[in-house]
Amino acid sequence: MRVLALLTVILTGIILLYGTQDMPNWGDPNSPASMHVSPRYLERTLEETATPNAVTSVLADYRGYDTLGETTVIFTAGVSCILILRARRRQKKENA
Amino acid sequence: MLDFIISKYNYWIYIILMMIGFYAMIGKKNLVKKIIGINIFQTAIILFFISTAAKRGGTLPIIEHGHGHGAHAIEAASYVNPLPHVLMLTAIVVMVSTLGVALAIVIAIYRRYNTLEEDEILEKRKWSRNLLF
Repeated sequence: MRVLALLTVILTGIILLYGTQDMPNWGDPNSPASMHVSPRYLERTLEETATPNAVTSVLADYRGYDTLGETTVIFTAGVSCILILRARRRQKKENA
Repeated sequence: MLDFIISKYNYWIYIILMMIGFYAMIGKKNLVKKIIGINIFQTAIILFFISTAAKRGGTLPIIEHGHGHGAHAIEAASYVNPLPHVLMLTAIVVMVSTLGVALAIVIAIYRRYNTLEEDEILEKRKWSRNLLF
């Protein structure tokens, strides 16, 4: 079982290492990720949101609904933690 | 060849980190070790995304002379890409939420089976099923 797990991991690693040949170089200013949409955020953040910090303006302004959904995720996680831990305690009381 | 190594070695580090986490997820029997493996895996993914944001010669994505200096041209090449940072901020929040729920489930499992080893739990489940039917 352990050998099978190790084999799977090494196989995945080899496939991913093979895939890195086509990745952009580290620190390349012309990499695809920084060419299309991100310059627009950097150039317009001051005039559109009056926030010099581009990360903040994207997080709280351009993607405000995403952040709202994020708070829903935390809320759901907290509620499910409470439910999981409380249900066990009640069951134990009934058994006793 | 050396050029190739220098420009790609960051990906290799994340892949090795990911392999460690992946092995802990599928190779270990202890549930807490599995959760630690999930966390290492997620950290590797986060580091990978952050590294795609890097630009040589770029500084933090905070516009210099932001307020009170009037309008001036902003060169996108002199700031690192802010979008991977934002997305990974979200990913860290999701990571913490899943970690919390996973630990709560592990606590519930421990209360019921008095063990965290996967094979012992499966053994106990098999035993209790035979008892029922």
